[in-house]
Amino acid sequence: MTKLSRRDLMAAGAATLAVPGPVLAQGTPRRGGTLILAIEGEPATLTSHLATDTPAMMVANNLFNALVLLNEKLEPVPDLATSWTVSPDGRAYAFELAQNVRWHDGRPLTAADVEFTFNEIVAKLHPRAGSWWPNVESAKATGPHSFEFRLKQPFAPFLTMLGSVLSSGALIMPKHVYENTDARTNPANQRPIGSGPFTFSRWQRGSFIELNRNATYFKPNRPYLDRLVFQVSSDPAARLLAFERGEIDFLHWYIVPYDRIGRLRTDRRFRLYQKGDAAATNGLMLINHRHDRLKDAKVRQALAHAINRETINQRGLFGEAKVAKSHVGSTIAWAFTDRFDYAFDPAKANALLDEAGFRRGADGRRFPLRLFWASGRDYEGRGAEIIRDNLRDVGVDVTVQVFDRTSFTDRVFRQWDFDLAMQLFTTGPDPTVSVTPRYHTNAIRRAPFVNGMGYSNPEVDALFDREPTITDPAQRAQAWHDIQRILMRDLPALPLFELPPIHAASARFADVVTGPQGYIENRENAYELR
Amino acid sequence: MGPSLLLYTLRRLVQAVPLVFVIILINFALIHAAPGDPIDFLLGSSDATEEYIAQLRAEFGLDRPLPEQLLAYLGKMLSFDLGYSLRFREQVLTLILSRLPATLLLMGTALVVASLLGILLGAVAARRPYSATDNVATLAALAGYSMPVFWLGQIMLLVFALHLAMFPTQGMMSLRAPREGLGMVLDVAHHLVLPVATYSVYHLALVFRLTRVKMQETLALDFITTARAKGLPEGRVVYRHALRNAMLPVVTVIGLNFGFMLAGSVLTETVFAWPGTGRLLFDAIQARDYPLLMGLFTVLSVMVILANVLTDVIYALIDPRVVYR
Repeated sequence: MTKLSRRDLMAAGAATLAVPGPVLAQGTPRRGGTLILAIEGEPATLTSHLATDTPAMMVANNLFNALVLLNEKLEPVPDLATSWTVSPDGRAYAFELAQNVRWHDGRPLTAADVEFTFNEIVAKLHPRAGSWWPNVESAKATGPHSFEFRLKQPFAPFLTMLGSVLSSGALIMPKHVYENTDARTNPANQRPIGSGPFTFSRWQRGSFIELNRNATYFKPNRPYLDRLVFQVSSDPAARLLAFERGEIDFLHWYIVPYDRIGRLRTDRRFRLYQKGDAAATNGLMLINHRHDRLKDAKVRQALAHAINRETINQRGLFGEAKVAKSHVGSTIAWAFTDRFDYAFDPAKANALLDEAGFRRGADGRRFPLRLFWASGRDYEGRGAEIIRDNLRDVGVDVTVQVFDRTSFTDRVFRQWDFDLAMQLFTTGPDPTVSVTPRYHTNAIRRAPFVNGMGYSNPEVDALFDREPTITDPAQRAQAWHDIQRILMRDLPALPLFELPPIHAASARFADVVTGPQGYIENRENAYELR
Repeated sequence: MGPSLLLYTLRRLVQAVPLVFVIILINFALIHAAPGDPIDFLLGSSDATEEYIAQLRAEFGLDRPLPEQLLAYLGKMLSFDLGYSLRFREQVLTLILSRLPATLLLMGTALVVASLLGILLGAVAARRPYSATDNVATLAALAGYSMPVFWLGQIMLLVFALHLAMFPTQGMMSLRAPREGLGMVLDVAHHLVLPVATYSVYHLALVFRLTRVKMQETLALDFITTARAKGLPEGRVVYRHALRNAMLPVVTVIGLNFGFMLAGSVLTETVFAWPGTGRLLFDAIQARDYPLLMGLFTVLSVMVILANVLTDVIYALIDPRVVYR
């Protein structure tokens, strides 16, 4: 044992000397190396058709391909599809597929696989299919390597949707493996046969998932790495230690604690990537519109004026975030506007509350409210404390309560038993798929992460329904500005902060994150520096 | 093992069957009384339609009334079918069996290390009560006994993994350069050190304190005086005559502690990313994975019951005075 540890000490010393200097020579990408990525929990499956959780998507994207991916501007770029055309009426999308793609078992990938995936798997099983599939009239192979979607009416975000695997679940799966089986329990869900840059090697339950380089990948010279290992690591503090010790090479954005980012940024052993606008996320304070005080718009607007969101950013998120000024994320530049934001103004808040008829009592209080948050994200807890203090200053007596995540979801989204609640909602890659399902009247359902606030406004519903059919980008942007004006006035939820997607990787690797999918993208471009 | 002891063991095992049944009923009631819905966890952040949620509920039988779910569960248990995990989409029994070896390795090592070391140190300390050695050991045991496992785990990681870089922080084996054969055994042993150290501290302290007190009591008894008067060497008096007697209650406590150790495995395994049942339990609770939770509680309860029976058997083996009927 003594011998072992001494050798390890020496190895650690050598590693310290080998830390790359200030000149981070990118050089040309080279073959070889193992990248170890942390995942915060064990996935259920290594495919995308049943899952929306990050660990499953992080693995699945390396094993499978989509039709298209997204570039930095959230525009579609080729993956399996080499080219595509959209008909002038915006209802037909035709794709040409790469000819030389093979499944990991050697069979060719054809348009029949694509047809099968959409009709038999995505449409029937994917949790999010309901948000876009109803627009699809047909999805058919039109040749061995050509494929066509026909839509019932124009749907502007269609290609963005296909490219955003997290939203659509649209990774192409092998027909010959899934045909005539129950795709929910097919053993290939745990031992996938894909077409992606890496092939499945083994899954040590509770410990790690190992993928090997796909030597016959259809993209020339890709991937560079020999191996990817996903290490299951659920304790935040221990995970960070393992990263700092070099046992783990990559932490995706929401498992990098915001209070450590400053330190990691100045440490040359690490490299931070700020990318991932497809999954841009806002922190919000949900407001229950059924509450007899909160159903008054003036009260909600008063809360917006009373809460100092910059303080929440500075003290809750150590200044790493940005104040959110709308329900649409600022990274969705074509749609975003901050024109309808609220200034921090306690005097105005007091005036609005007086106007609404809720004057301060003898003890200086107006009325009590409960503010819930779910354990797991420290910054939400710190944010809740700041909100409590801010609202106390204007006479609203807030009690902060914390639940474990599952109880919180039950309470807020199923029982609707809350006044105010801290919640994250994604805003990317397109507001139609990320914003509309939270605030539309038809989203008032006892289901997680929809309109548990009970907010209903026919005017905004009409805009929500019309906006995706507008094919002119300028007009569509105008519709979204109108929507934001109404949402910011009605405040079904108060946007608090925009979470920056900051990933941390070992500086021994380059191009670990290259696109807007950020944390879940495949690692075909990543390589080890030597 | 005489025939009476064998009969006794069998009878104890048969008696345990209704106990397991009651445990299953209580677990079922408790698990379903907890707030939260497994469907919410499965859906994650997605905005699923009503139809999809209903489809999931039907798929896992969650749409049926609770008594019906319980009956179906008990029926399947008779054929050792523990059901299908909602969270992991895998047979519960397969999942538990794949994780059990890691926990048994961690717990077995910790139990052996803590028990042997605790008894030895306790006996040494008792020979000279209130000496400097004894005081230091007693104080250290008090500290070890009071330290929360998760905190101790973090400190161990900070000191031995981060600053001294002597041990790895995570998992059961090195992922960057996997080894085979003897290399793998050494690699696992290397990964085992910190979790075992963390895990055994509480248990070690407990066994030490108990052994020390019992040894002190025993060393004051008449038969020890007799043994010394016979002119037996002091080592023989202490370790053969006194320790064997003092160890009886210690064995009982070690057996009873088995259950607490299983509970402690949740925290230790989470901190060290150890792929055992403790962390599986943690995941199952987070997800409200009813079948997996039931399966884990049942398997763990059976293990505790078996440990208790085993304790009684060991008791008989080291104490010839015990007669079983």
